[in-house]
Parts: sequence; structure tokens; C-alpha cells
Amino acid sequence: MPERLSNRIKERRAELGLTQAELAERVGVTRKTVNTVENSVFTPSTILALKLAEALDLNVEQLFWIEE
Amino acid sequence: MVNFNDAERAEELSRRRARALPVLAILFIAQQVTYFTGSGAGQRTVDHVHIAAWLVLSLVILLALATGGGWIYPRRVRDLANDEATRAHRADAFNFAFLATMAAAVVLYAIDLFEPMAGREAIHLMMTVGIATALLRFGMLERRALRDA
Repeated sequence: MPERLSNRIKERRAELGLTQAELAERVGVTRKTVNTVENSVFTPSTILALKLAEALDLNVEQLFWIEE
Repeated sequence: MVNFNDAERAEELSRRRARALPVLAILFIAQQVTYFTGSGAGQRTVDHVHIAAWLVLSLVILLALATGGGWIYPRRVRDLANDEATRAHRADAFNFAFLATMAAAVVLYAIDLFEPMAGREAIHLMMTVGIATALLRFGMLERRALRDA
């Protein structure tokens, strides 16, 4: 069974009151990319994962995990 | 951090591109259908114009696919619109297109055993399959990514 990268971007975004567009602006990507990462459609690079974690004030391990 | 105006324009470019890709694919395929069902492969001047038009269109589409298009937008907007997910979609589309082109080559090779075909026509068909597949796949992935955005 293929491994799937899950995340809590949506929940964390809501906690911080950020929209997808605002988060995208912070990390320097389009809203489309944030949307695909958030919905686990696209697996981000390490660089983008680190940028997202930093923008959402979490460790990357707190933001992303491999679905069992 | 990016400029909000650039982000908006990159978003607009992404949406326009996602809408245009399938339409372009249909127009491209339709052009090839009229070429192969008509007398497009002849030696008249009009046939040469037809072939030149196809070649120019193919090159423009390939260039747009390879660079992300949107040449009228400033470079920073284009760079933003061609971010990580878009580059991954493009790579996936080229991968699909390569496999489709190879499959077309195998089919044409088999057909040629029974009915000889001109080299130019075979290349024309393989390019058409490859370009149309890349357009459709890239468009599909981009539209899916924008669906819930």
C-alpha cells in the first residue's frame, strides 16, 4: 500500500486565522500549491515543507506525518 | 514573502492556463484531423502552408509547455505561477507524453509492416500524440489542483 503524507495545515491555518492565499504569500507559492499540499494531493519538497512549518510556527514533524 | 499583487496575477495566470490547455488540445487535435482526412500531405503550396502552420503551432505549444507560458506577464509573476506544484504537474505531463509517443511509435511501426507510411507522416502523428497528451495531462492536473482553491 503506498504511503501517504498527511498534514494539519488546514487546522493550523484556522487557528492562526490565515487564508490559503495569505499562507501562500508567506511561503512564496501560489494558493493552488497550498491547496494541493493541504489536501494531500501533492507531496511538497523538503524546502517547501520547512517553509510551511516555519510560517505556521510548528516543527515540520508536527505539521506532516506519514499515514499508517 | 511575495508581493500580494504578484500573487493575485500569478493566480490569474494559473487559472487562465488551466482553462486554455484543454481548449488548445482540442483545437490542435482538430487541426490534425483535418490534415489527415483532407489532402494535407500533398505537394501543393497550400499543403506546404498547412504543414508550416502545424509546425509553428507545435513549436509554440512546446515552448509554452516547457516554460509555462504567460509571456505577457512580468518574470516574477511567471516564476510564481510556475511554482513547485506546477513544475511537478508539468514533469508528470511530459512523462505521460513520452509514454504516449512511444506507444504511438510502436503502433505506427506495426502498421508500417503492412502499409508503408512516409517518414514525415509518421513523425507528424507521433508529435501530435505527444503534444496533445502533454496538453491534456497538464491541463487536467492544473484544473484538479485549482478545483478547491
